Amino acid sequence: MLIRTKKDWELPESAVTSESAYRTHNRRDFLKAIGLGAAGAALASRDLLAATGGFPAKANPDFPASALKPTAEEFVTSYNNFYEFGTGKEQPKDLANRGWKTDPWTVELTGLVNKPVKLDVNDLIKQAGGIEERVYRHRCVEAWSMVVPWDGFALAKLVALADPKPEAKYLKFTSFLDPKSSPGQSSGNLDYPYVEGLRLDEATNELAFIATGIYSKPMPNQNGAPLRLVTPWKYGFKGIKSIVKIEFVAAMPTNTWKAMQSSEYGFYANVNPKVDHPRWSQASERVIGEGSTFIPKRQPTLMFNGYEKQVAALYKGMDLARNY
Amino acid sequence: MAVLEKLLRSKVVIWILLVLPGLWPLWPIFIRPNPSVGADPLKYILHHFGFTACVLLATVLTFTPLRVLWPKWGIAQALNRHRRLVGVVSFAYAMLHLTAHLVYETGLDWSQLGHVFEVATTKPFQLVGLIAFTILLVLTVTSPNAAIKALGGKRWKLLHRLVYVAAALSAYHQAAARKVFPMQVVWIFGPLLLLEIARIIRERKPKPVARKAAGNAEA
Ligand code: HEM
Repeated sequence: MLIRTKKDWELPESAVTSESAYRTHNRRDFLKAIGLGAAGAALASRDLLAATGGFPAKANPDFPASALKPTAEEFVTSYNNFYEFGTGKEQPKDLANRGWKTDPWTVELTGLVNKPVKLDVNDLIKQAGGIEERVYRHRCVEAWSMVVPWDGFALAKLVALADPKPEAKYLKFTSFLDPKSSPGQSSGNLDYPYVEGLRLDEATNELAFIATGIYSKPMPNQNGAPLRLVTPWKYGFKGIKSIVKIEFVAAMPTNTWKAMQSSEYGFYANVNPKVDHPRWSQASERVIGEGSTFIPKRQPTLMFNGYEKQVAALYKGMDLARNY
Repeated sequence: MAVLEKLLRSKVVIWILLVLPGLWPLWPIFIRPNPSVGADPLKYILHHFGFTACVLLATVLTFTPLRVLWPKWGIAQALNRHRRLVGVVSFAYAMLHLTAHLVYETGLDWSQLGHVFEVATTKPFQLVGLIAFTILLVLTVTSPNAAIKALGGKRWKLLHRLVYVAAALSAYHQAAARKVFPMQVVWIFGPLLLLEIARIIRERKPKPVARKAAGNAEA
């Protein structure tokens, strides 16, 4: 067991893993241990896929891997909700890797900003000052959870680059639209392109993150290459994948799942064990990859997914049962 | 056709066909481990058993209309020998589905059981599953010959018409389990719906032969 001071967002001691257990999951540490380091990371990057800029990322000591036990990498890359590539959890890993091009990739920052820009994702990474690694809990609205080591940069840095005008109150994120590469889009299982939104103060919260990789490698296509949103205090569907446009707007954008079924999915989508989904309870969650084959591990779901200290102030005075 | 008919008449063959789908999850979990399944194996099992229960329920209900529509077709006759067995096994899969659900939700912490049932009765989609399950339970318990005798043929027949309610509720439950409508519901329950419509039309026709066949098939 590690002897260390606990940060307030960390899990109880019982959920903390030993460093050696983590090493078996963490490829970068492993590569370092056998002396490959940066060279190994470069070898791992697939030059035709995703954003390769900035690797290897520096671990952010505020969100360390030693505090949470990362889910096995093969589960994070095999158990995906990415409806553009099928509604089955196993489908995106296959269907997102059949020629869908995520390199080169252009991102547009636009709307109510002083510095609208359209740039390559690797340039964006450079301008954002490179990438760092943060280990976050990830809670799906379907009542399962993972722990993922993300590589990327704070969303606040991107907001600073765009330099929003005072009228800008929200960010509207738009994902790619390419029905030829996306069986989900050609079959129309949702309204595409996928859209998500954040309030500006949510976007500049220290936790909000743009991920360009996981496990010290460029983002696999099925996880939302080359860049995606990560808001660990919200349900996973807020984490829009494969972003092509970020628009600064005055009015609250309508996110895809809310448009699809507003009685079940709202704009905020904050993790909240006391506000159930109409079809299931959100009080506890299945921890992916933990427990035995037939007896899965469950744990109580934490308010704001355990990030209450960082984000509760954003929602002061709001009725969270109505603003789900 | 004759070979298939002969095979389908055999209880052993039907038993094998009924048990095999239950063993299917062993493949992606143990034999050729698939990480998409391994991430949450019991959820996979839970879905698979629910799916199998629906398929068997929809399948067994096609037997009667098949016989009404094609009374002389050997395969329809062969299948109708196994109605009770297939129906009961459909319930068995629903039971396994429910068991998987209870283990999944409690993680074997039985103090959670009350909460799980509270959720099951307050969430309409789960309540519908629970009602379908209860119907199948009642039908299974009253399926032995002794129960038919005790109830009397007429009352038994009326009671067992509830199987159509169970099928409709199962179809709704299966569709509502997903965040977007799953097309599989259409191909599982669609053929049954078409056959039932065809059967009703056939039974309406004032053809004495068809009438008689339909009358027999009701039982
Ligand atoms: C006590 C009654 C029941 C309960 C509490 C129950 C519960 C559930 C739950 C919670 C799910 C969704 C699992 C998830 O994706 O998270 C589900 C799915 C399902 N259930 Fe049930 N169920 C019941 C009875 C039945 C019955 C009687 C049938 C069929 C005859 C059935 C067939 C299915 C099917 C086909 C699915 C969909 C699986 C998929 O999405 O692939 N269930 N059930």
